[in-house]
Amino acid sequence: MIMQDFLTLVLEPFREVFAGFKRFAPNMLAMLTILIGGLVFARIVRALLRKALTALSFDAWSDRMGFTVMMRKGDLWTKPAEAVVRVVFWFLVIFTIMIGLSALKVHAVNTLVAQFFLYLPRVLSAVLILVIGYVAAGFLSRTVLIALVNNGYHYAKVLAEAVRLLLIVLILAMALEQLQVAPNIVVAAFSIIFGGIVIALAIAFGAGGIEAARRIIEKGAAEKSEGKDDIQHL
Amino acid sequence: MSDFYQTGVITTLHRLGKPSLERIEGELLHFSRTRPVALVLPALYSEFEGPAMPKIVEELSKVKYLCEIVLVLDKASDKEFQKVREFMAPIPGDVKIIHNDGRRVMEIYDTFKRNGLSVGERGKGRSAWLAYGYVIANGKCDVIALHDCDIVNYSREMLARLCYPVANPNLDYVFCKGFYSRVTNKMHGRVTRLLVTPLIRSLQSLGGEHRFLKFIDSFRYPLAGEFAMSTDMARVNRIPWDWGLEVGSLAEVYRNYSPRRICQVDIADTYEHKHQVLSSEDPEKGLMKMTIDICKSIFRTLASEGIVFSDGFFKSLSVAYLRLAEDTIMKYEADAAINGLEFDRHEEAKAVESFARAIAMAAETFMKNPMGTPLIPNWNRVTSAIPGILDMLKKAVDEDNR
Repeated sequence: MIMQDFLTLVLEPFREVFAGFKRFAPNMLAMLTILIGGLVFARIVRALLRKALTALSFDAWSDRMGFTVMMRKGDLWTKPAEAVVRVVFWFLVIFTIMIGLSALKVHAVNTLVAQFFLYLPRVLSAVLILVIGYVAAGFLSRTVLIALVNNGYHYAKVLAEAVRLLLIVLILAMALEQLQVAPNIVVAAFSIIFGGIVIALAIAFGAGGIEAARRIIEKGAAEKSEGKDDIQHL
Repeated sequence: MSDFYQTGVITTLHRLGKPSLERIEGELLHFSRTRPVALVLPALYSEFEGPAMPKIVEELSKVKYLCEIVLVLDKASDKEFQKVREFMAPIPGDVKIIHNDGRRVMEIYDTFKRNGLSVGERGKGRSAWLAYGYVIANGKCDVIALHDCDIVNYSREMLARLCYPVANPNLDYVFCKGFYSRVTNKMHGRVTRLLVTPLIRSLQSLGGEHRFLKFIDSFRYPLAGEFAMSTDMARVNRIPWDWGLEVGSLAEVYRNYSPRRICQVDIADTYEHKHQVLSSEDPEKGLMKMTIDICKSIFRTLASEGIVFSDGFFKSLSVAYLRLAEDTIMKYEADAAINGLEFDRHEEAKAVESFARAIAMAAETFMKNPMGTPLIPNWNRVTSAIPGILDMLKKAVDEDNR
């Protein structure tokens, strides 16, 4: 009897573990199936996307649109199409891992996966803000440059670069805010940097333009008073 | 000391008396405030293992008026690139090395290719062209000077005299080519002496006076690799990537600028660099390859100027060239005799025969494909096709040199 109890005591943990494993095994199998299927799918998508982007001359298009320059400025020297392919591939791999992990039905992991999927739209919108913002900054900077050059301003290039810098600071702040990366610090830093630049420009142009502004105001006032005289005579 | 006779349609700046290097460098330092000068050095790694480069680096380390030096390194591994950086370290100021075989620069070449811009095969032409792009991207210099890296008897006076006419704002030259005599114990420079000049003059005698032929004939050493030019010229000129580089570049200068703004300058009493073998049996190597490329370049330029070539013309040209070149050999024999130089008349005659064959080969190639142009597009066209390319090039070079 004692021996029986002792054996039960010894075997019970094994039984429990085995029962747990029996409960967990289908989930594990599901996860592995999802992972293998997902990786195969990611590889197929990678091959197809690579071919499609090559056929569409995506690299040359990126060169003309300025996306390649953006990558190079960040010291990224892979081809734009290859970069897109890699991003999509690793996104699919991470996506697959997250789905696979959720198949395990572990509470802590499920919470993590849920957080990941909740954060995904933010990442997408931050990327969208960066891409559209970069193109818009380039376009506006170029517009300013052409307008100032046509008006004969000496510092057209400097001003155009200043506009681009301001817009890029704005875009980066927006993207970081979207990603919720220390939002308070980002907003404060942005306010300080942006405000500082604007005040610096205001002081620079204001102090330098006192004489010009005085002349414009005096000229306007003189014209106004001349106009009054005309009316009185009439 | 040379005479002061002005030849042809361009200006010739002679070496008269004993010009002071200190004075010319002092003036260049003054000019460089308004017209900063960049020096472009196309080099192979093997040249750093030869005798010329240590002397060049030693001399350049004493030059104060250069705004930047851009060395384009070809055929070098990453390790060799680092060695070259250390080798160039004694030169003060802004020295950038473009690593042609580096990952970043290779990607730049790939960017040209995928956008339909053919920049040709590796060589001095392509290297020089890329260096101009970097100078333009940097936007610091108004003048670009270029010389080879195999000059054994290099002195910084060569560079100073080369830069002076373009850097001096009072002279208003946009292009200045160096000239010198290539004499040791015998005369060198066979391609210039026995091919280019007799060929140009034969073409003139057959086809009559032509402005381009007159222009090329005005240069005392049209194949000299040393020149200075305005940075604007580097934007608009196309560059051949083959051996027709020097003649093709002169054709572009002729096309884009008035001869009044072009000059040549006596940069050295003598000039010594590596000599090419004739390789008369193999048209793909040595002087034969160079000769064919030069002839093709001249024929193409003349065709673009409206000269009509035919088989009969080329047959007459071969005969006219042969006669003129043989007469030229006699002149050089006399010149060598009075100066006590060695002169192998048989070798010279063999070279002329090989050059005659090369002219025939070039003519045949030209007749088959007159449009086959090995010119690299100018930077204005490149930036129009790929707006951000200069930024990319600058980033690639700056990162490599970090």
